[in-house]
Amino acid sequence: MKTLSRFFLHNFAFAALPFLRQKKLLYLLTLFLISAVHLSAQDAARVTVTGVVKDSVGAPLPQVTVTEKGTSNATSTGADGRFTLQVASDHSILVFSSIGYSASEIRVGSRRDFDVPLQIANNGLGEVVVVGYGTKTKQSITGAVSSVSSRDLDRVHAASTVSSTLAGKLPGVTFRMPDGRPGASARIQIRNMGTPLYVIDGIQQDEGQFNNLAPNDIESITILKDASAAIYGVRAANGVVVVTTKKGSTGRNTINFDGYAGIQNWTRFPKVLNNSYDYMRYRAEAEINSNGNTNITEEELEKYKQGESAGKQYRSFDWSKYVLQKNATQNSVNLNINGGNDKVNYYVSATNLYQNSVLGREYKFNRSNLQSNVQAKVANGLRMGVQINGRIETRQNPGVPGGDDYWLSRFAVLRNTPRERPWANDNPKYLNDLGEHLETNYAFLNETISGKLKSEWRVLQANYTLEWQVPGIKGLNLRGMYSYYIADHLLNNQEYTYDAYTYHEDTDVYERTGGATNPWREREQTKLINTNTQVQANYNRTFGEHTIGATVVAERMNNKRFYNWLHASPISNNLPLIYFPTMDQYNDQQSEIARIGYIGRFNYGFANRYFLEISARRDASSLFEPSRRVGYFPGASAGWRITEEPFMKKLLGGSDILNDLKLRGSYGELGDDRNLDGGDIVAPYAYMEGYNYNMGTAIINGNAVTVSRDKGVPITRITWMTSKITDVGLDFALFRSRLAGSFDWFNRKRDGIVGNKNDVLVPIEIGYSLPQENIESDAVKGFEFSLNWNDQIGDVRYNVGGNFSYARQRTLSTYNPLFFNSWDQYFNDRRDRYSGGNWNDKNGGGDWGYEVIGQFQSMEEINNYTVNIDGLGNKTLLPGDLIYKDINNDGKIDSYDMRRVGYGTGRLPFINFGFTLGAAYKAFDFHIDFSGASGYTYNQNWEMRWAFQNNGNLNKIFEDRWHKVNPYDPNSAWVAGKYPALRYNQGGHSNYNRNSTFWLHNVTYLRARTIELGYTVSSKILSRVKMQRARFYLNAYNLFSFDNLKQYNIDPEIQDDNGLQFPQNKILNAGVNLSF
Amino acid sequence: MKKIIVYSIVGLATALSGCKKDSDFLDIPPVQVLPSETVFSDPALILSVLGDLYNRQVDFSSLDGGWRTFADFSESFPSENGSDFLVTRSGWGYGEWGTWDYGYIRDLNLFLQRMDATEVSTKITAGDKARFLAEGRFLRANYYFEMVKRMGGVPLIIEPMQYDYKGDPTYLQRPRAKEAEIYDFVISEAEEIKNDLPANLADKSRATKAAALAMESRAALYAGSIAKYGATTPTVSLSTGEVGIAASQANGYYTIALRAANEIIDQSAGTVSLYRALPDLEENFAAIFLDKSSVNQESIFIEDFKAFAGKTHGFTTNDQPYSRSDEGGDAGRLNPSLNLVEQFELLNGTFAPLPIGTSASRIAYNNQEDLFAGRDARLRGTILVPGAYFKSGQLKIKAGEITSAGTIVTTDASGGSLVGTDGPVNGLEFRTQTGFYIRKWLDPQTGSGRRGRGSDVAFIRYRFGEVLLNAAEAAFELGQPAVAAGFMNQVRERAGITTPLTAADINFDRIVHERRVELAFEGHILFDYKRWRIADKVWNGDATSYSDIINNLGKATAKSTQPWGLWPYRVQDGANAGKWIYIETKPSRVTGVNRFQLGNYYSAIGDDIRAANPTIVRQPNQ
Repeated sequence: MKTLSRFFLHNFAFAALPFLRQKKLLYLLTLFLISAVHLSAQDAARVTVTGVVKDSVGAPLPQVTVTEKGTSNATSTGADGRFTLQVASDHSILVFSSIGYSASEIRVGSRRDFDVPLQIANNGLGEVVVVGYGTKTKQSITGAVSSVSSRDLDRVHAASTVSSTLAGKLPGVTFRMPDGRPGASARIQIRNMGTPLYVIDGIQQDEGQFNNLAPNDIESITILKDASAAIYGVRAANGVVVVTTKKGSTGRNTINFDGYAGIQNWTRFPKVLNNSYDYMRYRAEAEINSNGNTNITEEELEKYKQGESAGKQYRSFDWSKYVLQKNATQNSVNLNINGGNDKVNYYVSATNLYQNSVLGREYKFNRSNLQSNVQAKVANGLRMGVQINGRIETRQNPGVPGGDDYWLSRFAVLRNTPRERPWANDNPKYLNDLGEHLETNYAFLNETISGKLKSEWRVLQANYTLEWQVPGIKGLNLRGMYSYYIADHLLNNQEYTYDAYTYHEDTDVYERTGGATNPWREREQTKLINTNTQVQANYNRTFGEHTIGATVVAERMNNKRFYNWLHASPISNNLPLIYFPTMDQYNDQQSEIARIGYIGRFNYGFANRYFLEISARRDASSLFEPSRRVGYFPGASAGWRITEEPFMKKLLGGSDILNDLKLRGSYGELGDDRNLDGGDIVAPYAYMEGYNYNMGTAIINGNAVTVSRDKGVPITRITWMTSKITDVGLDFALFRSRLAGSFDWFNRKRDGIVGNKNDVLVPIEIGYSLPQENIESDAVKGFEFSLNWNDQIGDVRYNVGGNFSYARQRTLSTYNPLFFNSWDQYFNDRRDRYSGGNWNDKNGGGDWGYEVIGQFQSMEEINNYTVNIDGLGNKTLLPGDLIYKDINNDGKIDSYDMRRVGYGTGRLPFINFGFTLGAAYKAFDFHIDFSGASGYTYNQNWEMRWAFQNNGNLNKIFEDRWHKVNPYDPNSAWVAGKYPALRYNQGGHSNYNRNSTFWLHNVTYLRARTIELGYTVSSKILSRVKMQRARFYLNAYNLFSFDNLKQYNIDPEIQDDNGLQFPQNKILNAGVNLSF
Repeated sequence: MKKIIVYSIVGLATALSGCKKDSDFLDIPPVQVLPSETVFSDPALILSVLGDLYNRQVDFSSLDGGWRTFADFSESFPSENGSDFLVTRSGWGYGEWGTWDYGYIRDLNLFLQRMDATEVSTKITAGDKARFLAEGRFLRANYYFEMVKRMGGVPLIIEPMQYDYKGDPTYLQRPRAKEAEIYDFVISEAEEIKNDLPANLADKSRATKAAALAMESRAALYAGSIAKYGATTPTVSLSTGEVGIAASQANGYYTIALRAANEIIDQSAGTVSLYRALPDLEENFAAIFLDKSSVNQESIFIEDFKAFAGKTHGFTTNDQPYSRSDEGGDAGRLNPSLNLVEQFELLNGTFAPLPIGTSASRIAYNNQEDLFAGRDARLRGTILVPGAYFKSGQLKIKAGEITSAGTIVTTDASGGSLVGTDGPVNGLEFRTQTGFYIRKWLDPQTGSGRRGRGSDVAFIRYRFGEVLLNAAEAAFELGQPAVAAGFMNQVRERAGITTPLTAADINFDRIVHERRVELAFEGHILFDYKRWRIADKVWNGDATSYSDIINNLGKATAKSTQPWGLWPYRVQDGANAGKWIYIETKPSRVTGVNRFQLGNYYSAIGDDIRAANPTIVRQPNQ
């Protein structure tokens, strides 16, 4: 802490008084004192105003910012809508603003107490929006910006992370949440441009820090989608997500309590057979179809039909019931206290979230957050802010063999057959040895037998800001900020040795026949330390109808990462600590990256009608070779409010049809030092020559020697990748501003993507490949629009809104493409193709496959079919098998018959949409939010594609199959079905061994995200119990979905081919909001 | 206005630069990158670089390179479902066994260049420098030897090359050297460096004089036999010499091979001897590959491993007998074939098939291992037969039971009362499917079969036993059969064979046979059969029957295209009740037949390589 405060002082001395050297700190202090004296002298003349801000139906509005116009003197309203503020004089103007509401200005005059109604920002133009290094009203914005406030986010009690709350809320955000385990996050991008930059309270942060903020502490989330992001500079090329946390309000102190509890169930998961008779009869059918015969006799089947009465071995066991335990709980409590006076305000909040899962009760997530935001006026014109936030994030589950500890439990559902049982002789003292299926015996996947895993993140961040209104120069303020972030990850995993038994009925002996003798103990520790220093000068002033603004920022960032991992084989399961003699692997890493940015921005506005903004950056990154570190990136944008033009006003003649119309456009260039996956564009130190140490171990003369290897030829030719974003937009308000909307068209062209030059073919014998260079380009093009309607009918207030976005990535150029023939080009050329459409797509595409033109209807049709489908003269085919189109008409099906059939299975959807409906009547409020997407692909494979995959159980979808009336009778008639005739685990069959239009599904879904009904207790009753507010609600998430994957029993957003991904949950919550 | 902006910019810049200059802030010193000057001024770091170059040596079969290369060539059966292709395919692709790692060559050349430029100092003596240089050259020669074995002549590059970005890379295009030129390079390098290397075997993980001579002897022997036997496959050559060596050069190479071997045999490269530490000759033979102490004077150059120190291998995990596995289901992949087992002679030095009787009348044995008694000690030193012990437990190899009427009673699961825990069951992986498990290299240490711990048995690249056989072969080819018999008898006597060979007994079949049984599972068979040009005859693509195996014992060109097994059954009733009979069995998964084509003699050179360097000529017959 000592170092921290030293750093803080050190940097702020400079931030506040840039003209001074450090030695002149004394001078600075003197100046502060003078200012303070000045302040107290002025206080006498000041006036104190109070008031309450309400919405259109008279409900008090919390978190409304009240500013004395032209100054940074501001406060915000409490939970009861009240505020207190000292202003300079009667001539001061109060500005009331809140995200989602139209700003309102009132001259103080002789009044001291105000009752201010605030209108919901129907047209969105008066809304206040957080933009780079400051805020703006929406009407003056010239870039593509969308924002969402806590009021919308607070309704989502879904998964545990912030990203999962954003589905369908913001036009331009692409969303897919393939995995729904406790603590999971959604995959989000802005306009499919790549990993966005997250900025939390002005500091660049990683995705993990964003996701694990307590949603209660978030005031607003803004996304900057075009050149307006440029101001955030280094790494802003894929758009920026700006998060602002809540601040304290002046006036009375408020205590808020928010809590909810709920139950979760999986939306969908593949269903399997749960009865041995079914399993055996389908298996017999499959074996006959595969081999022509089966060992399962009809007499035997008859016994399975009788079940246990025919003998113990004919019983059934329902694994999915055994593994999946319904109604897993989740709950969250948040307590925050905020308040303040005109000198100091504070917001202190604590949140705890707990999530369990349906995979038994030992798979869970817990997170505790603390947030404390304090601002103080330390002298006249000098404000100081301290924001400290911390969290502990814990994931706990049994320590399970394999990479993903959640995998085996899910796999158990599909792999274990109803004939298998968890305990030998059903005696829970003896784990049953299921042979090859042993590890999916769910009976062992718990903390007692298989082990323990605990992963904990502990994060602490402190931001210090100092803001100084420079005396003597009106409109100029200087601001400095220093941020220190430390994140600590500790993972402990111990996988036990265990025994599995086979019961011998004849001798009544439990014999140990399997298990694990190889214990696995690992510990992983990561520390991230990020520091960020910003100094900034802002100038804002209005001269008549001209408004001028200028911002200059210098910032420095340093990110350090320390990592170590060790492995041991403890001699006993009962030793939770690690001892040196059992340790056999140790891996130690350290890395550091530094970046520097200088930013200048200039704004000009005329008569609230014309707006212009010009910005420029100079960025440097430590990744590049010293002479190639610096990049310059300019940007400009302009806006024109047509409805402010006199001629337009005349034309409209006071009619209320068109209330507002703004045209805007922007162009900007941004630099990026990351590659397309978000990793470093070039490895650190790649420009240096030398040896990499720690490249393995050699045993020399009986001793272990850590070895070194030449790092290869220096890579000196890589520099910044450049994104060029063009955006044209339109904002409008119609019909007494009840209908508002906006439309954007954009094109992001990106140059300097690294690739290999191929026109010089150097012999492989030189022993290295030529380093990559900045040579390729791609583009994301698209559009988005949103529309909102707000009105009131009698006592019912309601709003309906929706948004739609389209953003699709495409490769523009590759370097000197060479193809051997036209097929090679058709298959491998990436130029001017949408991503996800070619094999060597850098973003993981590859949805090429065969076109299925039907299914064989009879043996006769197969015998007469001239195209060789299976490569074996069609002798493996049965009625119901897939007929592939012979595209090149050569009489056989091979790779030349493939065409593009999907949009990319691993990609985010390129069409996203959402709509929302809200209504309030007296004490009741109701909301329903939908979101949906289209333009991505699911590939049905493995367990989802062929029967008895991996010698496992049968997925129930295959019950609808082609089959004979009597499988034992070769002359029996065929009955048609959806899927080809069953085979026993024959993934190599021509039906299954290739991707085709039969198995690939281009997905479209629309799902109900949040449905909420709330009731607010009337203030008359509350005042008797000294409460400001009490609201109770019921809330449902993911209640239903319309999509084309329902028939396969899988969630529409799933990504894993085998359908066994942990799906999203359907959640029911009950909650309460209380304020005191 | 303008003033304000100017002041602000100047102010901000001053503010930041007050702490640190931009370039200082961005220049972050690396922690894992060592500059060359630092490395080559510190012997410990030079050894660290050299350690990597040692680690990257390419072996055909190595203990950390997976178990599959051991399982090929019908010498064994792969008991892992994913490796079925070894016995279901009908031969090998032209690309197999190729190697073209010029990245390794570049790193070797960089090492030699930088080492050569290093000034002798108090920290690095002249002797150190000479030894480091000699080791680098040894590794480079050894890898060129590995390349020429597989590819024939390759571009001989002995200095690091760098492209100048001027657009014309033709100056970097080096054509393939003649096959003989690469062998000559290996031989001359060995001769030049041998006296800079230690003439003792104190550290076998580093190059020594004996290692250089062993390499030289093997390389010269290969070159000699390619020159001599290349005549039998005249199409396996290129007129420009990149493939094939003139017959006239054969004697020259054989002479070098014999001389280099003799230099080791006469102890001038340090004390070497055949391993004779244990009285039980079978145990003794197995111990050659396990004993890493100074008692072992047979191993010359090894790849060493060390448990709990960061370098172990999974050979034992992969191949341990199922019933003795340290790791649940991880076991039993490598099952030696009956084809190999039958090759081991009786102790009197004669060939005889294992006496199992005929299908009409099987011979019954009281104990399983009785069938294998009285054989060459190398049989049970190399292979775990039914009834053998491993890690103090007897293996449970039992295919089922048989009635006196000849009806087999069995099941498709192992480990019950009918079938042994160790198999065999057709198609049941990780248990033997031939009736045998591997013993050579298998680590008897507790825990060595665990995936986490691994085994630290060392892989022996050169050993004295092979040097003697190299000398024997060279002598035989040079028309000195008595000398050859002397060398071979040393090896055979150690295996317990009581009747020595005479000069008259020495012929080509004997030479081939001795290497097959002595050096089984050491990575020799493919290259031996290639250089003798008999690979296309032994693996000729015709199915192998049981009689093919037992009727041609000791014949160099007898075919061996499919691995067979020998399954033990316990007799249920009758006079032989409780005794064991054996039935020859071809595992049902063996559906392919090995066919070695003339185009397989030299591995294909990839299109990418030839496209980038058009001076590289194609291999013959492809």
